[in-house]
Amino acid sequence: MKKIIVRLLLTLFIMGAGNARAADSLSISLAPEQANPPSPQMGDWLKFHSVIENPGTQTAHGVVTWISLVQVDPGHEQPVDLEDWSAHKAVTQAILQPGQKVNVDWPMRLIQAGAYRVVISAVDRETGHVMTSPFVDFQVRRKPVVESGRILPVAFGVPVLVLGMIAWRRYRRSTAV
Amino acid sequence: MNPITLIARKEGGELLMSGRGLAWLLALSIIMSVLSLLLVSNTELSLLDNAQVVYMVMGTVTTLGALLAVVLGSDAVAGERERGSLMPLLLAPVTPSQIVFGKMGGQIAGWVVMYLLSLPYVWAVGSSGQNLTQAVTYLALFGTPVVLGFGFLGIALSARLRSVRSALLTSLITLMLLASPLLLGPSLRQSTIGQLFDAVNPFSAAVNTFDSVVIDSQPISMQLTRLSIALVWLVLTAVFAIRSMRKMEI
Repeated sequence: MKKIIVRLLLTLFIMGAGNARAADSLSISLAPEQANPPSPQMGDWLKFHSVIENPGTQTAHGVVTWISLVQVDPGHEQPVDLEDWSAHKAVTQAILQPGQKVNVDWPMRLIQAGAYRVVISAVDRETGHVMTSPFVDFQVRRKPVVESGRILPVAFGVPVLVLGMIAWRRYRRSTAV
Repeated sequence: MNPITLIARKEGGELLMSGRGLAWLLALSIIMSVLSLLLVSNTELSLLDNAQVVYMVMGTVTTLGALLAVVLGSDAVAGERERGSLMPLLLAPVTPSQIVFGKMGGQIAGWVVMYLLSLPYVWAVGSSGQNLTQAVTYLALFGTPVVLGFGFLGIALSARLRSVRSALLTSLITLMLLASPLLLGPSLRQSTIGQLFDAVNPFSAAVNTFDSVVIDSQPISMQLTRLSIALVWLVLTAVFAIRSMRKMEI
């Protein structure tokens, strides 16, 4: 029994020592760029600025930071596939020394209208949990995907133009005879 | 005047200069207009779908161009035979390849007009401006060999099958088969057979390039294999058409 208790304590000590080597936690800030449009609409670009800092006393290894976007419209709550939204989905940092900061910009093209919440998350190799930034919410205004102002003149104008050409050919032929 | 130019001018004139001949152009513009108006009425499209709309219009233009090409190609030789004008054409001092390329001259004129007619529609639906220049460029770059290849195929079948109806039916079935990726979508083509079919199908090459360039903004370096497939298709069908004309029985 004693042996088991000693082994258990030893295991806990080793695990504790392992965690002690990891960075306690990373500090992640997130803020929208000041140059962002105040009322963005579909097609606009937004940029978010984040600072990932290691405030602890231990070096963080293999830090991976990524952006997540969630749609929060009532009834349409869902994570957004960033394939078409964001140019940078993840940023890696091999070593983050104590006190070291990394600035990352996250440009984003607004694809669909709605209310959204963006957050930056990070993990390092040793820490066993995800560290996240505060949320930033934004609203994307709808922009018509196909503009009737462009389509209607073309949709009605081109057939009329072709009809005009046919009529002109017929007129020319009849006057020639 | 070069015999090819002579035949091409006659074919092109029948297609574009006569009042009745222009009816196909009117039909084409109506189809494109209806498609565009249907897109206006859809308010649920996201910005991403704007690129998909442009992609859809590009696919439609290529399909309509191929349809025009197979109809004209099927009529090119068998139609002359049925109208009794094949013999004078064969007695003229022109080689089979000159006849084929002359007939293709008319098809090229038809495709050029169709392409130009489609540009206002591509511009109108591409309101976001995402990859619009690329759309216009790649429609010409990939649409042309695919469409003209169907024209050569139509001429070849027209020479071999000796009947407009048979040539047209066979060409249309081939067109439907090769254009199926436009209807099936990428997910249904993930099987081994689907991937093999995609790898050799010139229509898939064009459609996948439109997708890659307009929706995914990928560069031309990623399209070179597909471009070579479209060009091989054009060369093979041209050779098939010339051989069919040479071996044609009077």
